[in-house]
Amino acid sequence: MSSHQLPACVIDNGTGYTKLGYAGNTEPQFIIPSAIAVKDKVASSNAQALRWNNRVGGAGIDDLDFFIGDEALSPAASNYTVKYPIRHGIVEDWDLMERYWEQCIFKYLRAEPEDHFFLLTEPPLNTPENREYTAEIMFESFNVPGLYIAVQAVLALTASWQSREASDRSLTGLVIDSGDGVTHCIPVADGYVIGSCIKHIPIAGRDITYFIQNLLREREHTIPAEQSYEVAKTIKEKFCYVCPDVMKEFVKYDTDASKWLRTYDGINSITKRPFSVDVGYERFLGPEIFFHPEFCNPDFTTPISDTIDTLIQQCPIDVRRGLYENIVLSGGSTMFKDFARKLQRDVKRLSDARLQMSETLSGGRLKPKPIDVQVISHKMQRYAVWFGGSMLASTAEFYQVSHSKAEYMEKGPSICRYNPVFGALT
Amino acid sequence: MIILEQNNRIIVELLEQKFANAKEGGKPESVNVTFADFDGVLYKVSNPDGVKTRIILSISLKFYAELQQHGADDLLRKVYGQNMRATPEPGFNVTLEYDLTALPDNTLELVQKASALKRNCFASVFEKYFEFQETGQEGHKRAVINYREDETMYIEAKADRVTVIFSTVFKDADDVIIGKVFLQEFREGRKASQTAPAVLYSLGEPPLELKDLPGARVGDNVGYITFVLFPRHTNKKTRDNTIDLIHSFRDYLHYHIKCSKVYLHTRMRAKTTDFLKVLNRARPEVKGEKKTFHGKTFQTQ
Repeated sequence: MSSHQLPACVIDNGTGYTKLGYAGNTEPQFIIPSAIAVKDKVASSNAQALRWNNRVGGAGIDDLDFFIGDEALSPAASNYTVKYPIRHGIVEDWDLMERYWEQCIFKYLRAEPEDHFFLLTEPPLNTPENREYTAEIMFESFNVPGLYIAVQAVLALTASWQSREASDRSLTGLVIDSGDGVTHCIPVADGYVIGSCIKHIPIAGRDITYFIQNLLREREHTIPAEQSYEVAKTIKEKFCYVCPDVMKEFVKYDTDASKWLRTYDGINSITKRPFSVDVGYERFLGPEIFFHPEFCNPDFTTPISDTIDTLIQQCPIDVRRGLYENIVLSGGSTMFKDFARKLQRDVKRLSDARLQMSETLSGGRLKPKPIDVQVISHKMQRYAVWFGGSMLASTAEFYQVSHSKAEYMEKGPSICRYNPVFGALT
Repeated sequence: MIILEQNNRIIVELLEQKFANAKEGGKPESVNVTFADFDGVLYKVSNPDGVKTRIILSISLKFYAELQQHGADDLLRKVYGQNMRATPEPGFNVTLEYDLTALPDNTLELVQKASALKRNCFASVFEKYFEFQETGQEGHKRAVINYREDETMYIEAKADRVTVIFSTVFKDADDVIIGKVFLQEFREGRKASQTAPAVLYSLGEPPLELKDLPGARVGDNVGYITFVLFPRHTNKKTRDNTIDLIHSFRDYLHYHIKCSKVYLHTRMRAKTTDFLKVLNRARPEVKGEKKTFHGKTFQTQ
């Protein structure tokens, strides 16, 4: 079959952005907003309005009249309504999602879906029904020869393999996934998500940007107000890093400012005049809110390391060690320099303190085996989920575990409720 | 999107980004990307021998040898000039090479050309037969391009017309029907516009033009689409547009079959929601007094 020779398509639909590309590559070919711009009439779920001979809005080709991705947000789509079919990682509107995939495949990937296997992703705690809907769309509409629906957290784990030795490759680990909106901590044991122990932290990329924006607002008056968010975002991406100790870092800046201060040069988008911004404490204070959330959010004061530690303590006892040893970062907001190092130090401190405590309580008779805390940072962190999918979908095993069209025709969409874990042996 | 785009978006985005980076004097990054296109085409963009300032774009088509018989090499050389390598990368059929240190000022055209690589590969065979028709040469052997595993394209030139026949295989039984309805619309289209080429569609067995060809597939899920192109479509002015459209016709057809199914599904979902509403209304009303926790009842007015 030709389908085995052509690479599989990997599509990672996130709440904000969709990452899509062909398996075997290190980066997704497209990163586009998960937005779809439609004419209002079609979006209404009224069966009458959908009839093709309903001549009100033209000759019945309205179902092809829509834009996805960046085009949906461009001026070309100004007469359209922009919708996001995915909420909190879960598909809400299947009509829109089906059409979104239609253009993903035919316009962006330019793949004949009958020739390629597909790997799609789902958030942890996705419902089995949603998997069935996905299978129906993929097999019935697009006639794909094979489909595999992978859990994003598991893909993030596999993405970390490439930076480690083959013997260290395990499917047990804690995934810290921090995007723009929210940070998830997802424990995974042998490729299965421990659903009851997932924790969400209400601090992510956008909060850091707001925080920096606030700091700048108090000090820098040259930044045009309408650009301040973009400026803060660029400063965050370009200059921010994680420091080991905030107090010492302040002293460092005060004694030798020239070494640490940076300047950001921008151009006012309206007057076209250049302006420059001094970047000081923001460089380390921005990412610091992960470790000291009280800086920006008075309602939430638990540092990320505490959350991680309590989370692991809630997990079944036989996987805790494995989780401590394999804390994997994924998502753009974990890209700060030394983020992994500080997280590792803080979690290590907490677990060491606990071991120390149990030793004291036992009167020195019990000597616990020290816990090896490891936070894994790697180059593919930003698109970790997509990269993990791309890696798995280029193995021969992928073609064996995928659900085939024949199987679907025989048994129906329920086959996609379960997607076997694989890749642990390779 | 009614008509599929001709350009490959991945090539456009990739090359634009690399060229822009090179122009701004950014550090060249290594690149190694493999991706596909319709009709089983495989592309690879990489750096030759690890030299980061050069980029090569290779294409692999399973049926390139058949295209070569119709002068694909010459046509590509004409279009891409010195960007085309004399010997392609091993495992691929055509390789284009770009030197990032010596880019022309206008890279837009370069990118456009590169992204149409697949189309230009196909173009040779059409150009050749259009030429035959224009000069009135008859009796040339029919061109046979096995453009997919089990699908074939036949091109034949007469003095007054060029006949292009596609065979296509429908993997799904429903597709056969949807495809048939869709192609019937083409016949309607000819009524509306006299300038459209004649389209014939036969299901199951090859059209009469191919009756002398023993290799043509027969089967319930095999469809044959015949286009009769007249000089109006094959003259020098409209030729490029004709090639643009006809070379991707098979993908166009299958794209629309899928779109139709998506549309059907949308309507099925809408209908289900409507029915559910009716069902919910039909639920018997629960009679009986509602009591508070303390056993008191509300006065109904």
